[in-house]
Amino acid sequence: MKKSLSMLAAVSAVALTVTACSSTPEETAKPSAAAATEAPKATAAATAAATTDTDMGLKPEAGAKLVVWDAPDQKAFIESMAKQFEAKYKVPVKFEEVNPPDQPAKLTADGPAGVAADVTVIPHDNLGKMVSANLYLPNDVFADQTKKENAEAAVQGATFNNTLFGYPKSVETYALIYNKDLVKTAPKSFDDVVAFAKTYNDPGKNKFAFMFDIGNFYFDYAFLAGPGGYVFGKNGTDKTDIGLNNDGAVAGAKFFASLKKDVLPVKSGDVTYDIKKGLFTSGKLAMDLNGPWTILDYKNAKINIGVAPIPTINGKPAVSFAGIKILGVNAYTKYPNAAKLFAHFATSQAAQLENFKISGQLPSNKAAAEDATVKNDELATGFLQQLKTSQAMPSIPEMGNIWTPMGAALGDIWNDGKDPKATLDNAVKQIKDTNAATK
Amino acid sequence: MNAHRQVAAVLSVLSFGLGQLYNRQYMKGLILLLVEVVGLSYFINNLSHAIWGLVTLGKTPTHFETINGVATTVKGDHSIFLMLGGLITLLLLFLFVAAYVMNIKDAYRTGKKREEGHKPANIVESVRYVMDKRFPEIFLSIPILGVLFVTILPIIFTMLIAFTNYSGPDNLPPAKVLKWVGFRTFHDLIMFKTWSYTFFHILGWTIVWAVVATFTTYMGGVLVALLVNQKGIRLKGMWRTIFIIPYAIPQLVSLLVMKNMFNGQFGPINQYLGYFGLGKLPWLTDPTMAKITVIIVNMWVGIPVSMILIMGVLTAIPKDLYEAAEVDGASAFMKFRLITMPFILFTTAPLLIIQFAGNINNFNVIFLLTKGDPVNGKFQYGGSTDLLVTWLYKLTLDQQKYNIAAAVGIIIFIMIASLSIWSYRKTRSFKEEDMIQ
Repeated sequence: MKKSLSMLAAVSAVALTVTACSSTPEETAKPSAAAATEAPKATAAATAAATTDTDMGLKPEAGAKLVVWDAPDQKAFIESMAKQFEAKYKVPVKFEEVNPPDQPAKLTADGPAGVAADVTVIPHDNLGKMVSANLYLPNDVFADQTKKENAEAAVQGATFNNTLFGYPKSVETYALIYNKDLVKTAPKSFDDVVAFAKTYNDPGKNKFAFMFDIGNFYFDYAFLAGPGGYVFGKNGTDKTDIGLNNDGAVAGAKFFASLKKDVLPVKSGDVTYDIKKGLFTSGKLAMDLNGPWTILDYKNAKINIGVAPIPTINGKPAVSFAGIKILGVNAYTKYPNAAKLFAHFATSQAAQLENFKISGQLPSNKAAAEDATVKNDELATGFLQQLKTSQAMPSIPEMGNIWTPMGAALGDIWNDGKDPKATLDNAVKQIKDTNAATK
Repeated sequence: MNAHRQVAAVLSVLSFGLGQLYNRQYMKGLILLLVEVVGLSYFINNLSHAIWGLVTLGKTPTHFETINGVATTVKGDHSIFLMLGGLITLLLLFLFVAAYVMNIKDAYRTGKKREEGHKPANIVESVRYVMDKRFPEIFLSIPILGVLFVTILPIIFTMLIAFTNYSGPDNLPPAKVLKWVGFRTFHDLIMFKTWSYTFFHILGWTIVWAVVATFTTYMGGVLVALLVNQKGIRLKGMWRTIFIIPYAIPQLVSLLVMKNMFNGQFGPINQYLGYFGLGKLPWLTDPTMAKITVIIVNMWVGIPVSMILIMGVLTAIPKDLYEAAEVDGASAFMKFRLITMPFILFTTAPLLIIQFAGNINNFNVIFLLTKGDPVNGKFQYGGSTDLLVTWLYKLTLDQQKYNIAAAVGIIIFIMIASLSIWSYRKTRSFKEEDMIQ
């Protein structure tokens, strides 16, 4: 009976959603983000805790089999972990490709029906929403180890309502990725970017100095937050205090709009992740505002890349959204012990270092961040520097109501030169209405 | 002794099969008794729980209990599963009651036959009778059961969702238990400014789109079909093939390619315009222009279908009509207006309605080409080219506003159903089925 019910639930879900299409590539550009208020401080005094990589006497269930959902760029890493895990615990692990931004919706539907993966990625801005729906088991057995070994901010990002839910895997933010053959030294301020654009830009030949995903609030936030805008007050926990239309945010939006004339004379809808990638890898685009997840593609295209902090805006450092990637254990897993063991195993110090080598993801583990391979890596240092002036993405459930209205508002400001103040006021009103409507 | 029919019917009212046993149809009676036993045991165990589930939608949500520092999931009531389970049980009950009524009727009829002096049919005869005389019903019962559980049930389920508070982020089972909220969702959608502004604007564009898209593809199809069919056009087969190609390529491929072709800055179309010294057009980034672009692209996709249909119709027009018209000295345009067009319209009117209904829900063209963008700051999770159906998709998959989405779905259904039925009954081909022999 249970089985047929879940089948029917699946059928009805399909009926309810009309049709589903395969996701288009630009969805990968959506932030698969997570948060760390600051980078793991790379100081010698950092308590590089001796890793006590024990499994706390937890034994996997007999006959356990695990499925893991993760991003396409994590395939190599997860599969390598799966091999080691199987050798150690005799539990087979299967990797399935699901983009982190798509995972919340998928887990919400599939988790309770018992057909979701056992270990999934928690896109950290969704943590509150997902925990409110009881979709993850708390990280209890390994809580002390996780808290001891990972950077404070990473632990914060994996915690909701004072309960630790996740297993931090890596920290990330976006920064300025530039082509060293076109840009000798990375620009310190946006004035330098504008000056360089005047000499380099040639829209007729599709040559551009600087590009970013204009319609995506994840990246736009850097312009609003530098001068003093913020999403939610009290470290991103107060849903009533929205700072996206204060004077700072409006000043930031004015500056953001000015870039259209000086740097990037295109409509917001015309810049997609794929187009940026194509231009950068063909050597036409000099600088790209993007995250570590693109490094692999750019390296494979044999581009000589460098990473630098985002140039300053009106003399103030740009504040980017930062995140941690977190593994979570599906609350409906049939094998909670095995799933917890794997989530812990794949986020240990050794695992994070391996992940850094394979896919360039920055470790959230303090000892791993101190490791020479990370310290001597030029690209990693660029992101780590930007992390210092980054802000955690809020993880309260209301965060989900921010993206669409803000993306639309900033798109209007960019494309049609609408008045920043009025447009942002309207967006904030919309967010508040939506927050009220979801009571 | 001659009141067989009453006795048999009353006995069958008491329980399945008793009347049949009384009528000395032992095998049939035993089979029906077995149905009774199975049915009753199932309903006694499940019916009260199913009704409780449907009415209350559960009491205790799923939660965690911490035992010695280890949290385990304690399964509670899952409102959605309760709703589905309740619906399934009710459908089964409906089938059970139908069988019960049929069993009484059968006992009554057999009793009547006995009064008239016939011998009641034994099981072999009964089976043979069913197989011979009632074969269509038997044969259709299997697909009907399928339709009941695979089509009707999900539709009822979706409709019920609109009357609950099933929406993210705060009311998602199993962590929360849903509540029935009556018509509040519809009220919000139509009266509550946050939703109503978006809803009515998207509804307006959906209707405009459906009318314009249907008209353009249909008339375009007529035009192309007539052109290819002109006397003196050579290589008709080749032209037909060329025009059918857009229809042969999967839309998933062609529309995603189009999306890149129409890119305002990097797309080849604007690049070519640039070579000729013309300005760039904001194909997909300006709200009005994007609407025009989707209509143009939809013509490219939709004209081949109409063309094929209409070519078929053209071959059926009797040649002597044209000859008679020529004798009367009709011009080419008059022939088209008075013979060709009425004929085409008459034959394809039902198809036109189907195309119109299909265009109201034309998910592919909009979603693949623009995703409903360009974004509109005034809309709630919608863009300038969103149709109701793509907006519904976004509400469901990106925002988890299932109740609003279900309400929108019901409204789309009512629109399409009423429009289709009304216009289909008005078309002449429905009224005068026998006009064309």
